[in-house]
Amino acid sequence: MSTEILYVNDLTVGFPTDDGLVTAVRGVSYSLKEREVLAIVGESGSGKSVSAMALMGLLPKSARITGSIRYRNEEVLEMSPKRYREIRGQNIAMIFQDPMTSMNPVYTVGDQLAEAYRSHHRVERKVALAKAVEMLDRVGIPQAKDRARAYPHEFSGGMRQRAMIAMAIINSPDIIIADEPTTALDVTVQAQILETLIEVKDSVDAAVILITHDLGVVAGMAHRVLVMYAGRGVERAEVEDIYRRPRMPYTAGLLGSVPALDSAGGKLHPIAGAPPSLINLPPGCPFSPRCPLVSERCQTEEPQLLATDLAHHEVACHNWQKVAEAADPTLLFRAKAVEA
Amino acid sequence: MAAYIIRRVLASLLILLAATFLMFTLVSVSGDPLAEFVNVTDPDQKALLIQARTEALNLDEPFIAQYFLWLGGAVGCLVPGMDCDLGVNLNNQPVTALLADAFPTTLQLVLAATVLSIVLGVAIGIISAIRQYSAFDYTITFAAFLFFSLPIFWVAVLLKEFGAIRINNWLAEPAVTIPVAFVMGAFSALFFSAIIGGSRKRRALVGLAAGAGGVAVFILLVASGWFSNPGMGPGLVTLGALAGAVGATLLFTNLENRRVLFISLGTAIVGVAVAYSATPLLTDPSWLTLFGLGALATAIGVAIAVIFGDIDRAVAIRASVVTSVIVGLLVFMDKTISSFAAYSEAVNGRPIATIGSKTPNFEGTFWETTLDTMTHLALPTIAIMLISFAGYSRYSRASMLEVMNADYVRTARAKGLTERTVVLRHAFRNAMIPIVTLAALDFGAVIGGAIITETVFGWKGMGVLFTTAVNRFDTNQIMGVFILTAVAVLIFNLIADISYAVLDPRIRLT
Amino acid sequence: MTSPLTPSPTGWTGGMRSAAPEREFTIEARTQGQMVRSRFFRHRGAMLGLGALAFVVIIAYTSIGFWKIPGWWDLDYSSTGVLVNEGSPTLDLIPWVDGDGISVGAHPFGQDQIGRDYFALTMRGTQISLMVALVIGVLATFLGTVAGAISGYYGGASEAVIMRFTDLLLTIPLLIVAAVIAQWTGGKPFLLAVVLSLLIWTSLARLVRGEFLSLREKEFVEAAHAMGASSTRIIFRHMLPNCIGTIIVSATLTIAAAILIEAALSYLGFGVQSPDTSLGLLISTYQTAFNTRPWLFWWPGLFIIIIALSVNFIGDGLRDAFDPKQTRVRA
Repeated sequence: MSTEILYVNDLTVGFPTDDGLVTAVRGVSYSLKEREVLAIVGESGSGKSVSAMALMGLLPKSARITGSIRYRNEEVLEMSPKRYREIRGQNIAMIFQDPMTSMNPVYTVGDQLAEAYRSHHRVERKVALAKAVEMLDRVGIPQAKDRARAYPHEFSGGMRQRAMIAMAIINSPDIIIADEPTTALDVTVQAQILETLIEVKDSVDAAVILITHDLGVVAGMAHRVLVMYAGRGVERAEVEDIYRRPRMPYTAGLLGSVPALDSAGGKLHPIAGAPPSLINLPPGCPFSPRCPLVSERCQTEEPQLLATDLAHHEVACHNWQKVAEAADPTLLFRAKAVEA
Repeated sequence: MAAYIIRRVLASLLILLAATFLMFTLVSVSGDPLAEFVNVTDPDQKALLIQARTEALNLDEPFIAQYFLWLGGAVGCLVPGMDCDLGVNLNNQPVTALLADAFPTTLQLVLAATVLSIVLGVAIGIISAIRQYSAFDYTITFAAFLFFSLPIFWVAVLLKEFGAIRINNWLAEPAVTIPVAFVMGAFSALFFSAIIGGSRKRRALVGLAAGAGGVAVFILLVASGWFSNPGMGPGLVTLGALAGAVGATLLFTNLENRRVLFISLGTAIVGVAVAYSATPLLTDPSWLTLFGLGALATAIGVAIAVIFGDIDRAVAIRASVVTSVIVGLLVFMDKTISSFAAYSEAVNGRPIATIGSKTPNFEGTFWETTLDTMTHLALPTIAIMLISFAGYSRYSRASMLEVMNADYVRTARAKGLTERTVVLRHAFRNAMIPIVTLAALDFGAVIGGAIITETVFGWKGMGVLFTTAVNRFDTNQIMGVFILTAVAVLIFNLIADISYAVLDPRIRLT
Repeated sequence: MTSPLTPSPTGWTGGMRSAAPEREFTIEARTQGQMVRSRFFRHRGAMLGLGALAFVVIIAYTSIGFWKIPGWWDLDYSSTGVLVNEGSPTLDLIPWVDGDGISVGAHPFGQDQIGRDYFALTMRGTQISLMVALVIGVLATFLGTVAGAISGYYGGASEAVIMRFTDLLLTIPLLIVAAVIAQWTGGKPFLLAVVLSLLIWTSLARLVRGEFLSLREKEFVEAAHAMGASSTRIIFRHMLPNCIGTIIVSATLTIAAAILIEAALSYLGFGVQSPDTSLGLLISTYQTAFNTRPWLFWWPGLFIIIIALSVNFIGDGLRDAFDPKQTRVRA
């Protein structure tokens, strides 16, 4: 893991609505190395999916996107539509959350995979179909040749997501964006799908941006983690650090809400309250209304993502030292509940 | 599938049976067919008339018996090998013969109008959806609501005045007058600025240029006497054919795909060549000759596509076929319009008709009779189209908007497909599913005749047959129109359901 | 009247909130109804339509009065009078044409050939057309909702019977029913409207049935069942409110269609009958006058278009307002 293939810098995305401009992503920055798995973690509405869509150019035309997205030294946001189209699907592919609705119901699975291949390779349909069968086989679909002739509704949820993964890797991309790839699936299938994703990613040497709200999913897969809250990155670190040495109260809170085997029977400590409305953010740190460590400064000044005591570990919190001092940061939220 | 169809047909027959009984009852309570003899003064003659009609219509039988007598004859129409007897009307004409006259008339009237409304409405609805909240979208939305709100008979009167009488007056002595030039300019400006779209400034500029261009072309046409002797000539036809080839290429791929572009252009040239080398055949052709020539040109085009198509063969074949159709239509239009001068003279300089489906006792070449049919169809077709076009444009806009937001359209974009492929292959294909159903139902409904349009424009179709019968309490005539209409509705309902299942693999008919 | 954003504390419960009691900030908490209303009132087309419709309704009912209440227009729609200036309209809304300013005159819409005041006639026609459309809209909506709800909720035999019955009604032409009414009652507008609604309700019944079929599978309906709620309660409290949007929009569009249906039937002579009148009948009566007395043709047509267009735009606004998927992102 050496070369960075993707730089996202100060990415901001806003949508004009009847109620005013909704800024879904507010200055997010991250980079991605070759073959690396970067997890972007956050609650729904934290802007994690929108930032991925911005990267793929899949947002509605009305979206106001600023900042910079550089893919292999090319500015994506300034690309010609034609060049952008070449990159989409060929260099950067995407897997979506709901496999039930992500495939076109009126074409066979094989056709849809072949179409993805043919849109970047000038080959005959037969060749592309053979390629599609090969990919379906690689993601572990039995009798791939017959299944390629089936329609999406004849696949189970897990199978469909496998087919989506096959579609993503058919052009051997550099980057696969997986937007909550297992959220809509049965728990039993989730692990298999993630395993498949990791296997095929290695087989095509792709990097993965894994978008999820589930820290449990991140643990075994990701190399680095970016935690997002209210449209901003609030903590960025190696995966080990996130679990063992969180520096942001919000991350600690997320960890406290995940059941762990070694603490079986122990109580979960959810974060009280709901994420703020993006139209009407509180002044200062957007997490301050829910934060157990809230101080005067948090309510007036929004913290920036800055370095901490640990290497390659950045956090957007005025009081990260307090989190660092805590023996078990997840207990901060229990204290809050007791106080109430 | 077969079991489903059989079950549906049986259920439909039961509904049909109940519906005929209900209708028969309604008709018999609506009035007395003998009532019109009230004013006959001579008592002997009156008794004679009443007796004759009573016998012809079985009026002395009890009501239920009358119904079953009618039903007995009608069943024969649905069972092969039995005589179809729908009785006689009050004038002692067999109803089956009346229907045989009226049905083709109605088909001629509604078929073209319905097909045109669907094509135009769907196309405009889709553009409107793709350019949601643009000036084009707002204009089309407003126009659709306006058309929805127009009483068709009111529009028809206006059409007769402004679409026929005044245009005929103008055509008698074509001259550049300010109102006509203004209308031409405004139309051209609106059309092109809507097609081009873009920013307000760009639309205004395009509109201005197109408006000026429209007026200029109009003045040129008047000055050259085009309106007295119109036509396109080989030059314009060839130009149009080449433009059609470019359009067909754009429809299926992009202009950078030179292979498909050249194949389409080749097909266009072949088409024009076939048409003009067959000129002697085309002076007074039959439909068979026309279709033969069309098929020949299409076959050559397809052959070119097959030979040179390489990996784009499928696309090239489709583009070739569309190009051939465009060329065929162009040649057909050119030939028809060219016969205008002769036709206009034959109808005393009143080319656009306001009444009837054809000029009585008119005889002329194939092109002249075609033009005669067209000039009679023009106004009623516009009247019908205004309303059903609005429906299709709204419906396909809504359907398209819904589909454009679907996850699989997002997936298609994420694959890196071109916007054209995303819109046509993924969005449009799915948006069409409910529209095809709607169109099938619509065809079933229009067979019954466009009652108001037929009445206003004096077409003797199914609608007029029905209203005249209702006015005279003519049971057999009413029931004849009704059963034909009802059968059409039920058949097209079935077609709608089957086409839904064919288009959407998720639906299984059981 | 856009709804004010109601200030509401964040957090789940009072207890949870006590951690930072002084830090309450406002988020949007608007009820579904408020959101629908604010979206509707922001819809320009619907507001224009509502204004135009209100204007037509008010002028139609106050001018010549209705029932036993007299109006402010002193001429009566049935009495003949002396033809003034060939009966041409005296309404003058464009002050700069003949320089005498805006004036109404004795016969703003002109007179017909026997000297009846055409303004009074048009107003009477408007009243009748509005009444017919409203009765059809309300009655057909009621019938359609009930039939659709019953067949969608209970399914089984009741569904089969109702659906086959709608199939049957769909085949019966409106014209023949109108002819029966014309024959029996002399075209009494109210009865005509009632009978037409008996045929028109079927399309709404299908819509409501479809909505109910999908609602029946929803978790909150299952939950209501599990808690032992009665069928009536589930239908009225849980399911109907969820398809109120569909019903209201469809009712509006039915009214717009009914205006045109009445006009068409009257035009063919099977709708409202003389001596009463309606907008459709007026056009039918005077269509041949287009070249001699064009105003007799223009006015009733204009009123039909204004009414139908307004109602269509109101329906469009309602559809936008009720559609929960609509997040009107503007380009």
